[in-house]
Amino acid sequence: MSQSEDESWLPKPSSRTAPFFEAASEGKLRLQCCDDCGTWTFPYRERCQHCGSRSIVWRDASGRGTLYSHGLLRRAYHPRHEDRLPIVLAQVDVTEGVRLSTNLVDVEPGAVKVGMEVEVAFESLPDGGIIPVFRPVID
Amino acid sequence: MNHPMNGAGAVSGLGMTEMGRVYRSAIDLASEAVYLAIDDAGIDKSELDGLLINTGITRGLDLHLHVALGLQELNLLTFMQGYGSSAGQMIQYAAMAVANGLAKNVACVFADAPLVDGQRTGASYSGGRRFGGDALSSLHGLYGFTGAIPMFAMAAQRHMDLFGTTRDQLGQIAVSQRAWAGLNERATKREPITLSEYHDSPWVVEPFHVLDCCLVSNGAICVIVTSAEQARDGRQPPVYIRGFAQGHRHDTGQTVPDSAIRGPGSRSASRALAMANASLGEVTQCQLYDCYTYTVLVTLEDYGFCEKGEGGAFVEDGRLGPGGALPTNTGGGELSSYYMWGMTPISEAVIQGRGQAGERQSSNDLIICSGNGGMLNYHSTVVLSPETAS
Ligand SMILES: [Zn+2]
Repeated sequence: MSQSEDESWLPKPSSRTAPFFEAASEGKLRLQCCDDCGTWTFPYRERCQHCGSRSIVWRDASGRGTLYSHGLLRRAYHPRHEDRLPIVLAQVDVTEGVRLSTNLVDVEPGAVKVGMEVEVAFESLPDGGIIPVFRPVID
Repeated sequence: MNHPMNGAGAVSGLGMTEMGRVYRSAIDLASEAVYLAIDDAGIDKSELDGLLINTGITRGLDLHLHVALGLQELNLLTFMQGYGSSAGQMIQYAAMAVANGLAKNVACVFADAPLVDGQRTGASYSGGRRFGGDALSSLHGLYGFTGAIPMFAMAAQRHMDLFGTTRDQLGQIAVSQRAWAGLNERATKREPITLSEYHDSPWVVEPFHVLDCCLVSNGAICVIVTSAEQARDGRQPPVYIRGFAQGHRHDTGQTVPDSAIRGPGSRSASRALAMANASLGEVTQCQLYDCYTYTVLVTLEDYGFCEKGEGGAFVEDGRLGPGGALPTNTGGGELSSYYMWGMTPISEAVIQGRGQAGERQSSNDLIICSGNGGMLNYHSTVVLSPETAS
């Protein structure tokens, strides 16, 4: 599983999805929200999938949520997975009402439980990109 | 009140190619399955006037299959895609077509050839998402969401965390089905396994071991559907199509609480049984879509064989295996016999419905078959029986 030096892990975001990655580089989780009905949406859509409105804007989310479910990746399918298995796969229900597929970091796999409180964190990629991940909330 | 479609159509022909590491094209495999089914039904190729086509992950078939088959006078022809629910859907549309005079003999065919000589087994199912596409969709590959396994594994994990479902209980499904596969000469994996061998099999995505996941197979299966009247004059014992329905829903990305532990199967099964004028208690065997062990467990719950959350306890005593109270996936299923998407349960149901399952023959009065596509998103149910509507 090799990767040439100049091959980026993420293609350059399009104008449609750039706000998500710009936000990540600012340490923010930014998702789409409908100005008409208030429904939050992810991944990118042109229209609110609830009410059909096109008044849908990127807005900063709280970055907090609960763990809907989890699994433990035991095989590397991507260069990012090498030397860090097992990886905690996670579905996070952010408080705004959107379910994100992500990774849970800074946690012992045995301590991961459905319903646990989590918050967004950010990981720098070798090519300079930044992506959101989640970690347990420690109060 | 008898539903007009209850027993109006019947399966008159079944064609199955060799399955597994068979390095032939999907078109060649599909053609062979159609010719085998025509022969099995005892009809002439010129009597085949309907063709419904579905293909798997490698998209090796399209509408042009009829050209390879030299079928020039079709009254019904379409390519369909509902993922794992497609096979059950094809049977449904074929039954409605023959019952309403659109066609007399409809071939429903599935073929796929994801195994490539020299490539590892899962290559066709895990590729394609690592690079390319939009930056947002590429994130999935970085996180480790490749193919369907992670989503189903997490669904199973939620069931375990909420209801206390155990790894032994998931494992028992794999063990029971492997015991059935030992009685099926077509099955790819026939050596019996124990629970401890299940636990020792390599992890893919916890809680799934390799033995929680279906096989990958090349091959093709064709089923011919005709009217009940015509099926009675056929070469094979008719297997009547007694009831059917579908249920579909999609994850919208919103925080729907039940999406991992409840599929559209309950809606689909209850309507299919109503068409068959039957109750769940009359079902004598199940042929359930089993892309993963968990899919069997959640489908048993959704269909109402046990309460939501109690699927683990329901399966742990070997109830599904040989000698069990509810024979399920009696050919070994997708886990152990062959992975022909929804044609795996349908083909075994036809063999059982005809009483031709040999050592593994189980009570076949009422057989319920499920098809599942996506992450519990697309569902079809077909109820089959050697008995016509009473
Ligand atoms: Zn809206």
